[in-house]
Amino acid sequence: MDILFGSIVAGVLLGMVIALVALGLTIIFGVMDIVNFAHGEFLMVGMYAGLLSAKATGVDPLLTLPVAAVVGFLLGALCYVGFIKFLLRGPMVAQLLGTFGLMLFLRNLALLIFGSSDRTVHHGIIVGKSFDIGMGIIVPATKLAAAGLSVIAFAAVWLLMNRTKIGKALTATALNAQAARYMGIPTEKMNTLAWGIGGASVTVAGALIVNFWAVNPFMGLLFTMIAFAVVALGGFGSVPGAFFAGLVVGLIMEIPGFWDFFTYTFDWQWMADVPMTSLKYMWIYVAYFVIMVVRPRGLFGWKQ
Amino acid sequence: MALLEVQNLTKTFGGLRANNNISFSVERHELIGLIGPNGAGKTTLFNCISGHYPPTSGKISFDGKDITGLKAHDVSRQGVARTFQVYVASGDLSVGENVMVGCFMHTHSRNKAKARAEEIMKDLGLHTFADYLVGELPVAAQKRVTMATALASDPKLLLLDEVAAGLNPSEIEEMMTHIKHVHEDLGVTVMVIEHVMELVMRVSQRVIVLDYGKKIADGDPETIAKDQRVIQAYLGERYVREHAEELT
Amino acid sequence: MVVAGAVFFFFLIFPFFPLSSFAMATMIQFFMFSIYGMGWNTIGGYGGQVDLGKAQYVGIGAYTTGVMLIHWDVPFWASMPVGMAIAVMWSFIIGYPLFRLKGHYFAIATIATSLVLKDLFTVWPFVGAARGLEISPIQFTPPDFLHLIFKEDIYYYYVILGFFFTGIVYMNWFRKSRLGYQLRCIKDNEDVARSLGINVHWAKIKTYAIATAFVSMVGSFHVCYIKVIEPVDIMSLDLSILIALMAMLGGAGSLWGPIIGAAVLIPFKSYLKEWLGAAAGLAGIDLILYSVIIMLVSAFEPRGIWGIVEKARRRKRD
Repeated sequence: MDILFGSIVAGVLLGMVIALVALGLTIIFGVMDIVNFAHGEFLMVGMYAGLLSAKATGVDPLLTLPVAAVVGFLLGALCYVGFIKFLLRGPMVAQLLGTFGLMLFLRNLALLIFGSSDRTVHHGIIVGKSFDIGMGIIVPATKLAAAGLSVIAFAAVWLLMNRTKIGKALTATALNAQAARYMGIPTEKMNTLAWGIGGASVTVAGALIVNFWAVNPFMGLLFTMIAFAVVALGGFGSVPGAFFAGLVVGLIMEIPGFWDFFTYTFDWQWMADVPMTSLKYMWIYVAYFVIMVVRPRGLFGWKQ
Repeated sequence: MALLEVQNLTKTFGGLRANNNISFSVERHELIGLIGPNGAGKTTLFNCISGHYPPTSGKISFDGKDITGLKAHDVSRQGVARTFQVYVASGDLSVGENVMVGCFMHTHSRNKAKARAEEIMKDLGLHTFADYLVGELPVAAQKRVTMATALASDPKLLLLDEVAAGLNPSEIEEMMTHIKHVHEDLGVTVMVIEHVMELVMRVSQRVIVLDYGKKIADGDPETIAKDQRVIQAYLGERYVREHAEELT
Repeated sequence: MVVAGAVFFFFLIFPFFPLSSFAMATMIQFFMFSIYGMGWNTIGGYGGQVDLGKAQYVGIGAYTTGVMLIHWDVPFWASMPVGMAIAVMWSFIIGYPLFRLKGHYFAIATIATSLVLKDLFTVWPFVGAARGLEISPIQFTPPDFLHLIFKEDIYYYYVILGFFFTGIVYMNWFRKSRLGYQLRCIKDNEDVARSLGINVHWAKIKTYAIATAFVSMVGSFHVCYIKVIEPVDIMSLDLSILIALMAMLGGAGSLWGPIIGAAVLIPFKSYLKEWLGAAAGLAGIDLILYSVIIMLVSAFEPRGIWGIVEKARRRKRD
């Protein structure tokens, strides 16, 4: 039984962080209808940023979030101004392949600079510590902190989008760029801002994740696909959608745990033979496909 | 039996009733004009007939068959063809190739399609433009291309959507000749959405008027032109009141 | 036409020039990717639906031929059509729901299906799971035309050249065929296509199946040529992207586009790797350059090289 609850808790905690990962993607998409294939690479950049600034300053990794945020903001804004802006003029084929090129570029740049081996955080106040929250469930402190901080970051972005003037301007551009322009909202600046905020949220998520997940230059694609699944389920462009969908996807990533639970409960040998752990990411891709075919708008989506 | 029968057709989008309980019929070989102020629901009506939109309620019969809710490609195979207002020429198909696609509806042979396409293009004066991209043509010719493409599918009913928009007076005259040719010589039943009054009034045998999604008049052009409700729809209530004397 | 003839003659006599085996291998790669690109072009170029999941069909073709060869000694000429049939079947199964999507949603969905298949093959013991398949030439006595196992590349060269030629002939027919015209009309404006009696959904699915057949055919060739396949390579997203990219670079939606794209990128990739990759610590620079090219082309000349040629042609005519 504790396997079941353990998996649920792990899934929810992971899900909160995943929600933050996907937040950037959905904001960018909401404002300008472009899908960033390099999103996972932004995450990777955030992870390296968190890792390196912790090593350099000797400060606990969790306190390096502001650094990651700044790096992410600049990365996003620069990508937009230096590259994405030009892509928007062209046909969609070009946009897709362009952001894919960006993905390859960042991935190989990281490979060049950092080498291909996994790196993870070894020092820190909470690294290696865990909490026992009863029912035999042990939660690593890093995951708990990551989840908590993700929720805070998420709330911060939500407040930004809905309660500040600049956030409202962004939302206006997302809903109808032309109308927003007539009201004096500068589209170019909004686009840059969207990429900046989008970049910052995902790098912060990266800085959180690196506490319990090793980083290497090739992990971007997996997280890009995870982010797509979340955004598809939550609805392209919807911020609250990203949160709930994130939780669901987090739970999907814990399918091996659920599978183990059912294996023990029903005691069917064939279940034990299925290498569910190796297949756990597959369910995310399946989820994306099923969602898009069955309910393309997602749960809260308003853009199709 | 009428070629096209529309009964109590309603089409709503969310809260907007674009077509509201419209009923009318079109006999074989008629040329019907469909007019009304902007936003009256004319193109929506075409979209429902051609199967591009599924009606919210009501019934559409064509040539004796119930075609309500049929998909667009099935409706066109029944013999309904149409032109589109916004014709995106992305630069891939030339004029000749466009018309050929229409021909391919009834044949699998490329040679037959090409021959038929050439016939149609000659008929509408497009022969010299065959290898050009649609976007490279002057507006009047572009409109004729949409007509030719629709005609290529050998329809019983042709729906023309604002084929005279953006044309100068001499081009409008020319377009009228083509429409008359299609109607009289080729024997196609035609329904025309138009804002260019002189064209639609001179060419139509009968005119249907829509306003705010409802049908407000149905009769021959002369009567329609004098109909109070029609004038009101176009010029507004106040104008009608203030010019009451002139208008009777 | 004359140019094409001359180039083709060149291809025919190419192996008789005194060249390195590296050049020969590069040419074979060029032909393979040209065919991949031609296949992609049917649905991606003429059809306008960007497919980034072609690698899964390469994998199906390769694995079918590989498995049938290793386990049951089936000749290439029999296993290749079987591979194509399986691939096409799979394409119909996912095509039906897949083509309800368009644009980026479609593209991402193609990636999703490709990754699902890759993950499944990575854990499926029958196809060798993560280790993949390996064909040891000692099992056969080359030159073996039946099983397509040869010692010298020259045999492979002429086989793939044959496929290449067949591919071009087919593509030329395709774009002038009824389906080809219908597809291009769909790409222009789907509503117009529907009003001309075209069942858009079904036309796309059929075209997707054709693309699949092309790609699977070369996949079968691949396993006999390279003799080693692993899911992580042969069904990778990188391969899918490479295929799409070549077609786009050369000019999606044209007959020669994918071939031009392959002609530019394959030598570029191979030779760049040779010159740069070898130096220690510089691994990855070739890919960086390559990705920059992708970005530049996407941003500034999305219609590809053939698009530039066509523009010049039209200007000359006017």
